[in-house]
Amino acid sequence: MPEDPRQGRDRPISFFRSRSDRSQAKPILVLEEVYKYFRRDIPTLRNVNLTVERGEFIFVTGPSGSGKSTLLQLIYRQHTVDGGRIVFSGRDVSRLTESSIPYLRRNLGVVFQDFKVVPHWTIFENVAVALEILGTPPKVVRARVAETLERVGLAGRGNERVGHLSGGETQRVAIGRAIVTEPALLLADEPTGNLDPALAIDILTLFEEINASGTTVIFATHDHSLLSSSPHRLIVIDEGRLIEASHGLRAWSARTQMSA
Amino acid sequence: MEFWTALARAKRGFRDDLRLHLVAIASLVIAFLCLGAALLSVENLSRVADRWSRAQHMTVYLSADAKKGDVAQLQLVLESLAEVAQVRHVSAADAKREFVEQSDISVEASTLPDEAFPASLEVSLKSEAKSERMRTIVERVRGFGAVEEVETYEELFAQLGSLLSTGKSAVAMLAALVLICVLAIIGNTIRLAVANRRSEIEVLKLCGATDSFVRSPFVLEGLIQATAAAILALLLLVIAYFSARGAVEATLGTITGVHTVFLSPGIALAMVLGGAAAGAAGSALSLRRYLAI
Repeated sequence: MPEDPRQGRDRPISFFRSRSDRSQAKPILVLEEVYKYFRRDIPTLRNVNLTVERGEFIFVTGPSGSGKSTLLQLIYRQHTVDGGRIVFSGRDVSRLTESSIPYLRRNLGVVFQDFKVVPHWTIFENVAVALEILGTPPKVVRARVAETLERVGLAGRGNERVGHLSGGETQRVAIGRAIVTEPALLLADEPTGNLDPALAIDILTLFEEINASGTTVIFATHDHSLLSSSPHRLIVIDEGRLIEASHGLRAWSARTQMSA
Repeated sequence: MEFWTALARAKRGFRDDLRLHLVAIASLVIAFLCLGAALLSVENLSRVADRWSRAQHMTVYLSADAKKGDVAQLQLVLESLAEVAQVRHVSAADAKREFVEQSDISVEASTLPDEAFPASLEVSLKSEAKSERMRTIVERVRGFGAVEEVETYEELFAQLGSLLSTGKSAVAMLAALVLICVLAIIGNTIRLAVANRRSEIEVLKLCGATDSFVRSPFVLEGLIQATAAAILALLLLVIAYFSARGAVEATLGTITGVHTVFLSPGIALAMVLGGAAAGAAGSALSLRRYLAI
């Protein structure tokens, strides 16, 4: 059995690790009867149930405005659920106090369509910030960032300003920042939305490599070209309802066509 | 570790908003310079008041037609008093010569009129001399025929005391004004810095930064700005003080008999520490208002 490359490495913080021994076999993320309303009469998410096992790679797709981003935002507590619960690593994130939210986020990596990087910082500074928040010693920060930049294909470019990079490179910086702390779960909210198709495939491949090293990935996209070539589990959100399309896009497409 | 991380991020903040911070520091230097100059004036005025109040002196001006015997008798009477330490007779010629020596005015002694320099008895009093008793002595001395006028400098002390008191009030008001300036300048600078660094703050929050982690570099920036401004203002004041010292000593120093001094280390330190505290407070107040995280 191959050795887990992350074995013996510190996770960001013990807040979500305290029950890790017992929870290793349990799902990393469970959503139970989740509801979210931004308008009182129309739920953005309705009765969403989802179980994500450790090490899984899940695509979440659906039309624009269907609730994909909202689903991810509920997981990293940008918003709070209006009904149901979300359990991450054995803890109900919807019941966390405001002061506990940073500790949840230290165990998650999040990548966005609009990158959310600091353009006047260097690549190194943008990636290192996630470790600085954890209070990692500078020497370790340098080593971990160098290692991460190599993983995302930016080795030796730490001193370049992010504002001067292309879209694909900027997204790699954002991915580097998301994975440098080796989070248990990586959330990607339309990470290829601003990239051309070739670059989108590159970025998806990078996510798959990260997943192969043991990180659970939830990848929200409405780009069907990415889904069609991928064997991963597929979740579809349509009008706030979650539909499991466990056999990939073609099966889901076939089912939606039949029901139509 | 958190302090050093915050300091490194504050340094990064200075680098990113260099112009903004330099403008803020320049404005603060002016405010601290005003406060420092006022403190310097009061410090030296206090020294003059202190020196004069301890000097306890009385000048008995003699009338032009005073007889030698009357003057000698008066001197004996004064020397016999328990409150008197020393009596020195200064003739009109001695008075003129002393004036020419002590003042920085280059004039020929012969050109000055003799009547401007009356003869006098310079009476040094013991420090324990009570003012009530002194008034009685002055009244008795005025009764002597050889005496033209008795100067106790009481009025001058009263005027100096009043000036000092006004100066201290002005400094207190100026200190309050400088505090408001520091709070306003630092507050506005931090508000602009927060606006400029919205994306950075968002990234920090998404990566799991606590509120204190986000706020700490901004507070440090305010503290560093105010401290740097206070130190710069003190340096400028030192330069100005040593540049003007010679001229001041030659004029005011001669008149008052007191050498000028720079601010005491305690006051200078209080100015820097007070400035630092005000800077940190201004930043923290601004963050509470403008940094909704």
